[in-house]
Amino acid sequence: MVKVTVDGIEVEVPAGSNVLQACEAAGKEIPRFCYHERLSVAGNCRMCLVEIEKAPPKPFASCAYPVNDGMVVHTDSPMVRKARRGVMEFLLINHPLDCPICDQGGECDLQDQAVAYGTDRSRYEENKRAVKDKNLGPLVKTVMTRCIHCTRCIRFSTEVAGVPELGATARGESMEVGTYVEKALTSELSGNLIDICPVGALTSKPYAFVARPWELKKTDSVDVLDAVGANIRVDARGPEVLRILPRLNEDVNEEWLADKSRFSVDGLKRRRLDSCWVKRDGKLRKASWQEAFEAIAAKLAGLSGDRVGAVAGNLADAESMVALKDLMAALGSANLDCRQDGAALDASCRDFYNFNTSIAGIEEADALLIVGSNPRREAPLINARIRKRVLAGPFPVAGIGPEADLTYGVDWLGNAPAVLASLLDGTHPFAATLKAANKPMIIVGQGALARPDGAAVLAACWKLAAQTGMLGAEWHGFNVLHTAASRVGALDLGFVPGSKGKGLDAMLGGGVDLLWLLGADEFDTARIGAGTFVVYQGHHGDRGAARADVILPGAAYTEKNGTYVNTEGRVQRGQLAVYPPGEAREDWKILRAFSGFIDKPLPYDNLTAIRARLEQANPVFARTNVLPRFGCSDTAGPAGEPTALSGAPFRPFIENYYQTDPISRASPTMAECTETYMPTLRQAAE
Amino acid sequence: MDHAPRHAYITGMNIGTRISTWLHGRVVGRDAIGNVYYEDKHDHGGRRRRWVAYAGEPEASKVPPEWHAWLHYTTDAPLPAQGRRPWQKPHLANATGTPAGYRPPGHDYSGGKRAAATGDYEAWTPGT
Repeated sequence: MVKVTVDGIEVEVPAGSNVLQACEAAGKEIPRFCYHERLSVAGNCRMCLVEIEKAPPKPFASCAYPVNDGMVVHTDSPMVRKARRGVMEFLLINHPLDCPICDQGGECDLQDQAVAYGTDRSRYEENKRAVKDKNLGPLVKTVMTRCIHCTRCIRFSTEVAGVPELGATARGESMEVGTYVEKALTSELSGNLIDICPVGALTSKPYAFVARPWELKKTDSVDVLDAVGANIRVDARGPEVLRILPRLNEDVNEEWLADKSRFSVDGLKRRRLDSCWVKRDGKLRKASWQEAFEAIAAKLAGLSGDRVGAVAGNLADAESMVALKDLMAALGSANLDCRQDGAALDASCRDFYNFNTSIAGIEEADALLIVGSNPRREAPLINARIRKRVLAGPFPVAGIGPEADLTYGVDWLGNAPAVLASLLDGTHPFAATLKAANKPMIIVGQGALARPDGAAVLAACWKLAAQTGMLGAEWHGFNVLHTAASRVGALDLGFVPGSKGKGLDAMLGGGVDLLWLLGADEFDTARIGAGTFVVYQGHHGDRGAARADVILPGAAYTEKNGTYVNTEGRVQRGQLAVYPPGEAREDWKILRAFSGFIDKPLPYDNLTAIRARLEQANPVFARTNVLPRFGCSDTAGPAGEPTALSGAPFRPFIENYYQTDPISRASPTMAECTETYMPTLRQAAE
Repeated sequence: MDHAPRHAYITGMNIGTRISTWLHGRVVGRDAIGNVYYEDKHDHGGRRRRWVAYAGEPEASKVPPEWHAWLHYTTDAPLPAQGRRPWQKPHLANATGTPAGYRPPGHDYSGGKRAAATGDYEAWTPGT
């Protein structure tokens, strides 16, 4: 630790810190544009100037100057103030005065700091520089004349996103930031460029000229479009959600957010289910709640419990799933399933289906094996965390599965379960690498589990983990990477076939007479038997609604108070930002109302009561937001024969990152991204 | 009192005002809808009190502008009725809160169909 005096306040900071960090530790605010905690230091904006005693008599850029013991720093001396005012004047020379038409207006670092540290008048009477705008694809809008050359975007794309596509050409006044050859940014994290840009040079294209920050009502929530559970802020005006921004959570998403989660908001306004529909004479007709409930009750009358089944979808909240499970129990049915993709997840022990290492724990690991997963497509934020670990030092990463560019070096061992077998018997050299590591980890993707021999792959991966020292008392290196936000919560609640219950495959093809789909759209609805009466409860008209006999309009994730469990097993709560459209209601309330309608009322009438029921169903629901790390206490593996591996190669689990759920499929922005980034997929669909 | 239309005198005033009007009031005139305007017939020094007996429901916005000015001592006499311009419309009382009140086109009582606005969502219909 080093002692530094900042404006008379003595602070101790770790050796190797820079002066700016010491000033922050002393509670002094230092203006800055180029410096960012999570990026390398550039030191080119010169806004963070401070005065240091017993040093050459000049202002120092505090972000790029290391602390020394006994250093005395002044952050508010006349020299510092004058220097900052001069820097601000230079920055504003070529910055257009278009704040009234700039989307950054109101949340602009340059605006704020010009007021706080600049002068109150301009002395500049020459012509301003103008720069041609660049086309960075359908998500990021550029107004390059506003750029102040802080290079944050260049450093972000190179360091965090791992796609070194942005760069600067020329120098001095002629310097321009761009992609050299015009192209769309190929990162799933490109939306974060908008957040880190301190001025309005990079703004959101879909959100351009939509709203001002002070018009928006901000609600803290949790993202559900992948299984990472990124913390988000939902910005709404009146009844519509206008944008979604990341919220700081060091353990989950740091301060980043993936593009699908950020830009799918316009899908929340399209293809919405806003009233009940009942099929009469082969045609869906609008109906009231009473008529819809009557139609379901009429079908249920005289139906035995084992002819009724329920499937939970990928975006379902835990409250509605526990209500649906209780409703099915009241009807005498154990036919439940949440694994629409047919993944062979073993719900008997929490360790078998969780990302046990935790996302932040990736940074401690020292070897990684990825099996049947493309984390860049399935969980971009976890992929960014792995990349962060790779950059931090030696970190051997190997993969079994279809080769893909994960933005860091991966040693692809081959695309066949046979490689897993050779790792198990120790003949493969990477087995030795895993054994030699102190904290090795394995990531098993849904692509490895959603196949006929999925149970064998899961058992083999667990066995490999046990053999290579991943399952210790202090360290748990076995990880299952989910892609559905509801999946871990559903498994925690036991939303899987009970004793003598039917799984998804048995329920389809006429196994049940009444099938209740809770937002379940991710399986082929043509597999549902022709005689099966389908109740679809959800918020978007998608595959499930098209097949349904009765449609009950539910709420999307921004429209309800929901509990979600992310792939790590972290319980987080989203909050209602806007009300559901039309006749739509919160999902658990629909189920509670229906249970009352058929005289089998569920024993909860409010959010507190149903959350108490959640805790009763599984104590993990009592522990929100925090995630205690456990080692592995029991190394007994999941059911499944580790040797029964088939020879079929692994297939990519997500083909199109931008459209994986009803919300993103309804979003025009995501459709545009598909067109831009996945042109072959689109041609195939046509 | 003889000049006052009977209905305004009876319905537009409560009993106290009616007695007071009978004792002190002198009719100054009446407007198109039958409101009657009074002035104190006794001179107490200073300005004479002025008041109105409403035809029907007592409602201050029934007073037309030409009498409003007189009632509030802006003018000495009501504005002449014959000086009206062709573009001047007959005075209407404030109808807010009554069935005749204005309702925007999106209101259920006026058809419930409004123009598209930002914030509208697009509902799903079968077959789309």
